[in-house]
Amino acid sequence: MSSQDSIDPRLEQAAATDDSIISAHEKASEGRPDVDGNYRLIPLVLLFVFSGFIFFGGTYLHRYTGYFSPEIFDERQHAGGAVTEAPQIDPVVLGKKQYNLACMTCHMPNGQGLPSVYPPLAESEWVTGSEERLIAILLHGLKGPITVKGNVYSVAAMPAFGQVDGGGYNWSDQKIAAVLTYIRQEWGNTAGAIETATVTAFRERGDRKEWTEAELLKLP
Amino acid sequence: MKNGPLFFLGLFFALALSWAGLALGTHAQLGDLQPHYDDIEGKAFPQRASGIASRGQLVYQDLGCASCHTQQVRRPSFGADEARGWGSRQSVTRDYVHQKRPLLGQSRLGPDLANFGIRAEAAGATKTDLLVDLYNGSHEMPAYRFLFEEREIVGQPSSNALQGVAAAGSELVPTERAETLAAYLLSLKQTYEYPEARPYAPDETQEGAH
Amino acid sequence: MTQTTSSTASPGVSEIDTSSRCALSFLIVASLLWLVTGGVLALLNLLQTHTPGFLADCFLFTHGRLDAMQETALVYGWAGNAGIAVALWLLSRLGGSALRGTNYLVVGALFWNIGVKLGVYGIAFGDMTSFSLMQMPDYVQPLMLVAYALMAAPGVLAWTGRRNDSTFATQWYAIAALFLFPWFFSAAQVMLHFVPVRGTLQSVVSTWYAQNVFSLWMAPLAIAALYYLVPKIRGKVMPNYDFAIYGFWSLIIFGTWTGGRHLIGGPVPAWIPSVALGAGVLVLFHHMIVYLNMSGIGGSGGVVMKLAKYGFYAYLLSGVIDALFSLRSFAVITQFTLFQEAQWQLALASFSLIMFGALYYLVPRISGAVWPSSGLVRGHYLASILGYAVLIISLGVAGWQQGTALNDASMSFEAIAAQYRPWLLVASAAQALLLVGNLALLVNFVRILFVRTSEATTSQFRQPTNLEASSS
Repeated sequence: MSSQDSIDPRLEQAAATDDSIISAHEKASEGRPDVDGNYRLIPLVLLFVFSGFIFFGGTYLHRYTGYFSPEIFDERQHAGGAVTEAPQIDPVVLGKKQYNLACMTCHMPNGQGLPSVYPPLAESEWVTGSEERLIAILLHGLKGPITVKGNVYSVAAMPAFGQVDGGGYNWSDQKIAAVLTYIRQEWGNTAGAIETATVTAFRERGDRKEWTEAELLKLP
Repeated sequence: MKNGPLFFLGLFFALALSWAGLALGTHAQLGDLQPHYDDIEGKAFPQRASGIASRGQLVYQDLGCASCHTQQVRRPSFGADEARGWGSRQSVTRDYVHQKRPLLGQSRLGPDLANFGIRAEAAGATKTDLLVDLYNGSHEMPAYRFLFEEREIVGQPSSNALQGVAAAGSELVPTERAETLAAYLLSLKQTYEYPEARPYAPDETQEGAH
Repeated sequence: MTQTTSSTASPGVSEIDTSSRCALSFLIVASLLWLVTGGVLALLNLLQTHTPGFLADCFLFTHGRLDAMQETALVYGWAGNAGIAVALWLLSRLGGSALRGTNYLVVGALFWNIGVKLGVYGIAFGDMTSFSLMQMPDYVQPLMLVAYALMAAPGVLAWTGRRNDSTFATQWYAIAALFLFPWFFSAAQVMLHFVPVRGTLQSVVSTWYAQNVFSLWMAPLAIAALYYLVPKIRGKVMPNYDFAIYGFWSLIIFGTWTGGRHLIGGPVPAWIPSVALGAGVLVLFHHMIVYLNMSGIGGSGGVVMKLAKYGFYAYLLSGVIDALFSLRSFAVITQFTLFQEAQWQLALASFSLIMFGALYYLVPRISGAVWPSSGLVRGHYLASILGYAVLIISLGVAGWQQGTALNDASMSFEAIAAQYRPWLLVASAAQALLLVGNLALLVNFVRILFVRTSEATTSQFRQPTNLEASSS
């Protein structure tokens, strides 16, 4: 221990040799035997504190990590919990876009079709009638003659637009529902919208090749 | 201590544990994160930046712009990022999937830039406006004069010269670095709503459920 | 430097120290030159924060590059050299033999400093990497890794060749720092430069690395010095030393997970900042134990003890503040503000003050002479304490104000800047004061380099006594 009253800032004196520091602390780290039966409080305190830290850390990790999910960026979110719904897309807007992209070339922008070749969609009983028949036509396609508004159309086939084997368009159920909703309210048609779930349910019944008119008429 | 080698092994494993957990763990989770294909739009998001914008990112990096600007939007309930118009949703990992070195930044002496392109578009700011701001300095940002070149007009004046500064017979032209930097800044947008980026609405009843 | 034969016979100065005078002096003068250079760069950087037009026309000193330069100079130049010098001295002292392989040390130090210099120039000319605390260009980093291995070699030899089989806390901390650095440095190099990970995962690796620079390198070196200086100067066994081993392992195991706290609310999965917070609380156990051991640090003392004391308090405060302000309710205000700069300065201050104390202790012993000027010593001490205190407090207040203002969408950036400008002016004054103090240390050290060791100079060293084995 330094016995100087004021310590010279130019030199700090050493009070202990290195060897003695090492050996004294080595002895200290072995701990003292409880000769008197008095135990030190410190180990218990440290144990409690450390346990407290572990408890805090553990509960915090349980609540705020989303079980280490890589898709949770908001720590308040529970793993597998609800998020807000995806913003709703207006089916008529989407349907119109898809119609203009793919359907317009045959069924024409005004839904009139081409006489004897492509059936019209405007005021067609197939469009405004049964939902299932309409979904079937778009999902799996149509082959063979079909009578629309009294006229027979037998020249061209309707391709499969759904996610079916051999289909070239692979439209999602949402797109199909959107297009059908669009044509059911356009050009003077006033039928109701078609839900994506209805399309999905129909598609899950299984793949098939193109429908014929007779088969379609069997659908409710 | 007596067990010398065990000591070093312990040190190594302590470090290896945090490395495996953080670096390898996140790499295993998100290392092959793909862009999100949107069926309705028919495009994959995020969209790749143009070549000029990618070069501009290198300029952004070497000038150290990240020391004053961040490029990460915090969620609306965590700070005023949405209120300031910096973005309507939190930035997620997928936003940066195409970037060679995302420059997230750690300091906001200046505004966040993650959606700067969208803001500039909304304000009708063109590339020239941006270059003028870079030359003059704007608000707290210093003037970046060294990104521009004042030179004598030889033959035809340059088409991209900035007006109103140079003396007669000279023109002020942005360097290629300035052009690419401006293109980069105008390309910054994080608007697509990824499934994992949708905001979480805490449900009061759910909080006590477990 | 020739030594008279009588100096080796002087009881207060040992051959272990004087034999490493050249090598360690090289490291120390390099560290002090970088301390001053880094101090100048840091001052210019701070000036630019409140006066953006300052040096704006020079592309070498544009704000982003200057920021990276001052960080590199202070961490790799000052902390790198000083940390290694002190660690090697401690290990050789406690190992009981002179430093071996000093030739490797000098070559390594030479190339390390060439690397840092190239790094700073590289940043100025536009090759900065943008990774926090790893800004030097990627072409310099492998060079620094190799140079580091050369510098660390004498330390490893001092450990393996130690005379006592048992080891003291100082040795654990010092050798841990020396051993771990190349591992996390090379891992970061590989995952960020050579085989880069994708997108924002780079931020995860980068914050892991930056945290390790402090938690696994700077902090252990500072704590190693403390564990030596306190019993050495006070002459008492440290209380509760049997728990020191737990303190050591809690730092090593938990400290390295806390880097993710910078990424709160960021484009990384939420578990990363949450884990960092949990680890930040657990690492406080290390701080607790070191606090229990260092009870002798308070009280009256010379410059060395006082610097060690304030450095230690800064270290404790740094741990508590890092853990506390990782909590999201605080982080929402302090994230991205000058408060984070204050946190970094607090960490740097804790390291630097303890290193100053260690240097004031060890330099006379390797030189065999006292510091030439007590005025410069006192001046440096006062400037450091006052400078760091004012710097940290002013940056902290400015940061808190800035954070609150950033979260108020109606405040424009001009208004925010006008609010923090006065605080930054105060901070700049503090930074300038620190620079003046560090210049004093540099001048004093250069003077001691020219002192010839002689009977007269070494006679002032008193022979220490043996420490009593049982603690009081």
